[in-house]
Amino acid sequence: MSAAFLVPEHKLFESPNSRSIHVNSWVITASTNPISNAFECDAIQGSLGIPLPEMTFGNNILTLEHRPSGLKYSFTAADALGFVKKGELDDGDGGVKVNYADAWLKSRTDPSSNLTMPKTVATKPYDWTYTTMYTGHMEADESGFVPSWILSEDADSAYNIPIAELTRPDPILFYAEIPLFEDELHDNGSSALLVRIRVMPTCIFILCRFTLRVDNVLFRTWDARLYHSFSSEPPMVIRETSGWEAPYDVIKDRLPKRDDMTPLTDPNFISKALADTRRMSQTIGAKTGWRGIGTTLEYAILA
Amino acid sequence: MPSDLDSQIAQLSRCEPISEAQVKTLCIKAREILIEEGNVQVVDSPVTICGDIHGQFFDLMELFAVGGWCPETNYLFMGDFVDRGFYSVETFLLLLALKVRYPDRMTLIRGNHESRQITQVYGFYDECQRKYGSSNVWRWCCEVFDYLALGAIVDGRVFCVHGGLSPSLASIDQIRAIERKQEVPHEGPMCDLLWSDPDDTITGWGLSPRGAGFLFGADITKNFAHHNALDLIARAHQLAMEGYKLMFDRMIVTVWSAPNYCYRCGNVASILELDEHLGQEYKVFSHAPMDVRSIPTKRPPPEYFL
Repeated sequence: MSAAFLVPEHKLFESPNSRSIHVNSWVITASTNPISNAFECDAIQGSLGIPLPEMTFGNNILTLEHRPSGLKYSFTAADALGFVKKGELDDGDGGVKVNYADAWLKSRTDPSSNLTMPKTVATKPYDWTYTTMYTGHMEADESGFVPSWILSEDADSAYNIPIAELTRPDPILFYAEIPLFEDELHDNGSSALLVRIRVMPTCIFILCRFTLRVDNVLFRTWDARLYHSFSSEPPMVIRETSGWEAPYDVIKDRLPKRDDMTPLTDPNFISKALADTRRMSQTIGAKTGWRGIGTTLEYAILA
Repeated sequence: MPSDLDSQIAQLSRCEPISEAQVKTLCIKAREILIEEGNVQVVDSPVTICGDIHGQFFDLMELFAVGGWCPETNYLFMGDFVDRGFYSVETFLLLLALKVRYPDRMTLIRGNHESRQITQVYGFYDECQRKYGSSNVWRWCCEVFDYLALGAIVDGRVFCVHGGLSPSLASIDQIRAIERKQEVPHEGPMCDLLWSDPDDTITGWGLSPRGAGFLFGADITKNFAHHNALDLIARAHQLAMEGYKLMFDRMIVTVWSAPNYCYRCGNVASILELDEHLGQEYKVFSHAPMDVRSIPTKRPPPEYFL
């Protein structure tokens, strides 16, 4: 049986905190570093206007440069956090509170309670779950051109992400995991954004995944998948974005062992459980009204 | 008995768990000691103040290497001994054994993770199940958690607490009046002490955007310090990339003692040494190089993710 591919010529570069691959017309670089220090956090916080996640990997970056067009596509924590809702949450933002919020407030405001609510000042409202519908961002080339995303018709397989090709065990030429942020929501769950990339002999594939768990409230994920086939002509990137959400107990009921809760901290388990309940998780979700629920397929021509 | 205890301390210092029966005895003895302590344990200087450890056993050994071994050095740990790291069992039992062996030289106060509810979600419960095959050890440890002090005061001048202040508690004497021997409640002054945070963007009290919990500004901190004649409030609870973070004209400090938190943050940690004149020295340290067993390979292996 002949191989379904030829391994393209490519060069790999490595340093302790950064790795690159030059392949076909692409230069791809993944940098992973410790979380940002206080000085760097203050700078990002100042420009974003929201408190940062406890672990903000402000110096991590994934960059893809398409040399013929000069286009650059990157993923960074600061940009991802720019999509977190700042200010009062509105319809569609999918805002939630911790599960004991009502009881907590009642204990402070109930006339029969002996605890008095102090006079409080308004704290700057923002989405403390750090929900972000981040897809990475494309920078304009020298002439100021930015390709636009065009909605794909599902029927046309040329504009779909080919699962068969991606499940084929071709050699992985380049692989990286780039965490952008993580927060434990003050021990009320977890919020994390992780970008993964693999460069295959025939294509580039990226998954940028936001995973949220609010204990006893809900699970939510936002996936942005980018796919580029080296043989696409004109060169093209296909992007699938999908938001999923389910009440906490629905996912908890899918635990393989009832008293082992550790899968609830595993983004892969969560995403699979959400996919298995898609009739709910892709429609009403956890009834927060979050606008991210659903799936969209788009493509962009890089020329 | 000290020799028994000494051999258990030696065993735990090698990161080897002691037997279930030994844990039971240790927990009973610890409770007898802790029940005599006040909600705000009175401590004399010199003492070394430590923040969150979170089961990072080998990093705790780094801490002792930097700060000195107990009893040569007096220690005050501000809670969050367990969860998240891989060695919550060995970490907590070692600290507890040192507490029982040297009650006046080791002070342990309660963090928000020293709770039944939180440990069931964040790892300690699972670790006990895995290492002992039953939840007995977890149950005994949780009973000890209920007896831990809520705070400590060094020479009457430095107040130590895991989280922060509470709008219901204007004085340290009011903290002394709390009925502490219970699971950490979801609301009220005891909850506030273990959960609240200072915030340099507000004045007065703020409500957390999460819907529960307080934030407090510089004025609240200074008033509390003034009212109680304090030089400093030391607390833990929040990751500080530089190991510690002074706020509000050095009136409050966050001390963080888990380097390379969760084995991937790359942060340094610190301890605060208070000398006999309450002079402050922050000793910064990095994660244990020997902790090879617990550090996941730096580069995750390639995966055919979809």
